[in-house]
Amino acid sequence: MKDKPRQLPAFLFPAFQTQEITHWRPSLDIYRMRNGWLLKFDLAGVPMEDVNVEVQGGRITVSGVRRDYVAEEADACYAMEIAYNRFERTVELPCEFANPAVTLEGRDGILIIRVTEG
Amino acid sequence: MSDSNEVQELPILPLKNSVLFPHLLMPLAVGRAASLAAAEAALATEGKEIVIVAQREPSKDEPQFEDLYTIATKAVIKKMARSSESQMELIVLGVERVVVLKLEQTEPYLKARVRPYPLPDERTPEVEALHRAVTELAGRAIQLAQPNIPAEVSHLLASADEPLRLVYLLASMMSLELTREQALLEAESRGDALRLMHAYLTNEVQVLELRNKIASEAQTEMSKQQREYLLRQQLRAIQQELGEKDPQQAEVELLRERIEKLELPDEVFREAQRELGRLERLPPGAPDYQVIRTYLDYVVELPWSVFTEDQLEVGRARRILDEDHFDLKEVKERILEHLGVLKLNPEAKAPILCFFGPPGVGKTSLGQSIARALGRKFERMSLGGLHDEAELRGHRRTYIGALPGRIMQAIRRAGSKNPVLMLDEVDKLGRDFRGDPAAALLEILDPEQNKSFRDNYLDLPFDLSKVFFITTANALDTVPRPLLDRMEMLRLAGYSEEEKIEIAKRYLIPRQLKQAGLNDEQCRLPDGTLKRIISRYTREAGLRQLERNIGRLARKVALRHAEGNTEPVAVAPDDLIEMLGPPMFAQEELRKEQPPGVATGLAWTETGGEVLYIEATRLPGGKGLTITGQIGEVMQESAKAAQSYLWSHAKQMGIAPDAFKDDGIHIHVPAGAIPKDGPSAGVTMATALASLYMGAAARSDTAMTGEITLTGLVLPIGGLKEKVLAARRAGIRCVILPRENEKDLRDLPEQVRKEMEFLPVDRIEDVLAAVLPQVAEKLEALK
Repeated sequence: MKDKPRQLPAFLFPAFQTQEITHWRPSLDIYRMRNGWLLKFDLAGVPMEDVNVEVQGGRITVSGVRRDYVAEEADACYAMEIAYNRFERTVELPCEFANPAVTLEGRDGILIIRVTEG
Repeated sequence: MSDSNEVQELPILPLKNSVLFPHLLMPLAVGRAASLAAAEAALATEGKEIVIVAQREPSKDEPQFEDLYTIATKAVIKKMARSSESQMELIVLGVERVVVLKLEQTEPYLKARVRPYPLPDERTPEVEALHRAVTELAGRAIQLAQPNIPAEVSHLLASADEPLRLVYLLASMMSLELTREQALLEAESRGDALRLMHAYLTNEVQVLELRNKIASEAQTEMSKQQREYLLRQQLRAIQQELGEKDPQQAEVELLRERIEKLELPDEVFREAQRELGRLERLPPGAPDYQVIRTYLDYVVELPWSVFTEDQLEVGRARRILDEDHFDLKEVKERILEHLGVLKLNPEAKAPILCFFGPPGVGKTSLGQSIARALGRKFERMSLGGLHDEAELRGHRRTYIGALPGRIMQAIRRAGSKNPVLMLDEVDKLGRDFRGDPAAALLEILDPEQNKSFRDNYLDLPFDLSKVFFITTANALDTVPRPLLDRMEMLRLAGYSEEEKIEIAKRYLIPRQLKQAGLNDEQCRLPDGTLKRIISRYTREAGLRQLERNIGRLARKVALRHAEGNTEPVAVAPDDLIEMLGPPMFAQEELRKEQPPGVATGLAWTETGGEVLYIEATRLPGGKGLTITGQIGEVMQESAKAAQSYLWSHAKQMGIAPDAFKDDGIHIHVPAGAIPKDGPSAGVTMATALASLYMGAAARSDTAMTGEITLTGLVLPIGGLKEKVLAARRAGIRCVILPRENEKDLRDLPEQVRKEMEFLPVDRIEDVLAAVLPQVAEKLEALK
């Protein structure tokens, strides 16, 4: 008989740490701009239309879905490391947006989000 | 988030020995074909969802629907990698609890319709309470299990605000049995889940406490032993470095050398070798080690074949004996006889002598003197109060602290096989439930048996037949007959006044003067003074009190010298009151006037002889015979015999027979505080009664002793010498004694025999005729 597998709490791993247990968490960089903030998300394989950005005060939530396009056409999966399905990431910024302006730009698999006071 | 009541069709991954809980990640190794197919099917979907179900029966490789639990966990495959074509590593994340409704397919993998099965949302105070209790208990369990990292984990537990997540988290940490995990997963409510977890944790805490206790005990035990072992190793290394031998080995070698050097009898040698072998094999820490060592020490130290050369020159021996003791001819003669025998036959058995007599007559010192005369070692031990047979014969070696008996210890001290061994106070042996030491003495003192005396401790035969045993006793009536039978009795009777004076002049005075630092010029004690001390300050057969009093005088004189008054002192009898205080004993002055009814008797005591005045008086109208004065049973009986004799011969003696019937009689024997017993006062009582009834006073210068029978015969008694000496001390000139005791008069000093008159008698009539001269003619009728 195999050894009993050891279970681990999901919240010990930042990559799986989200509000919703099934959602994954993309990694990101944050830059401060003269007139606002720039957030860079590692979101390769996610069409810009599928990304939803929500700003509330200083809190920005980015969510969406990464689909496994080839899953249906492949015979069988041999290895899987990329996280799929719904994702969600929330960051708190040290400022308040009364009337934010958000622009998205996709560049080579990186999603750039600019938030400025509109 | 999926709709909580949506029915889904999902592949199933059975787990043999584990339950996946929601919110937990679990790495899985998948190897079974059906499981591989299920995982691949799940990965081929966008959601990558799969249902993880525990098997009821872990041994089944291809489980069917009925082999699976119906409550399961829906999971998402987070990562997948293959270690080989047929082995898949998955990381799955439990999402929510589902119930398996119906199996849709079994080939190539299990697939079923499942519906989420959430727990009812309840926030009752009971759940809250349970939640806190479980958190607290979990904290303790962690503290016990892993005391080093409690801070973060406890924090983690405290941060789990949802009770279910806490339960699942704890379950993942506790490695519970499958059925228990499944029970947790199937819990109907949060309360149930918490209760289950509480029970599991309680058990866990107990197990952990026990485990810690065992672990710490084992550790202390281990470290103690290890430390000792290490130190011993170091000690050995140091000894080797210094070129020293292992102390145990050295000890054994030493003993072996000694054993081989001694000329041991065969049996002893074999036994010693055997014990030595055992000693060698034992570690020094073993409890038996010291026991065997002590035993071997004893065996080695005993004089198995050591003899002292006897001094067989008779002239020298006689000189030594005479030097040490005055008189005691009989004893000295016996010792010299034995010397003569030894000269002719060196193999002769040593005699076993018993000296008996009053205290202070020199029994013990005589033993020492004999040893000196023979040139043998002298050892003595007192048997007084000894009541345990094992004291003589030793304890068997099985007892803790066992030692050889006193006999073997004395032999060891003497260091030779033929010492003079003195057993003092053989008449004062005790006897109780532990055994009878007198019985043990029977063997020791029997020349036929003591050739191979076995001490319980040594358990080896030792030859005691060359030991010159001397026992001493004050009285023989407490010595068991068989023991008396084995010994040659030598009586050391008390000394007469002349003898005492002689002994004092020869031995006691020089010794005491020396002790006080005086010479015989500085202090002189004339005979008159000694006489006064003997008669007024001492009452004894021996010499101890006399010696003590001489010592006191010597010290007083020494004090005077020290104060500067250096003139020689001659102590006159009248100085004694000043120096020794008033006389201790009033002299038994002769009672000059004796009324009818008083007769002079003689008694023997352990401290010598005494004069007794027996008084009788009539009690008009009284009844019977009253006897007072601490009288023993035998003496009472002889009083009755005396009365009966007179009663029966009343007519012949001219006594009215009614005198016996009408009046009572009281006989009193002073001094009232001293217990008296024995038959030898019979004659005296008869005389006292005759004197009373016939109204004639008895002669006051005549004392009498002898047992009386109903027919008037006078039977012999003991202790004549002491009695005569006492009579003389009291100023009595004539002693009436049984004819059979006439031979004992030879023991008396020449001067006493010359000075006194002795009247041997056969019958009471002779006594009465001699003592009651006033009524002599009446008594003629009796003859």
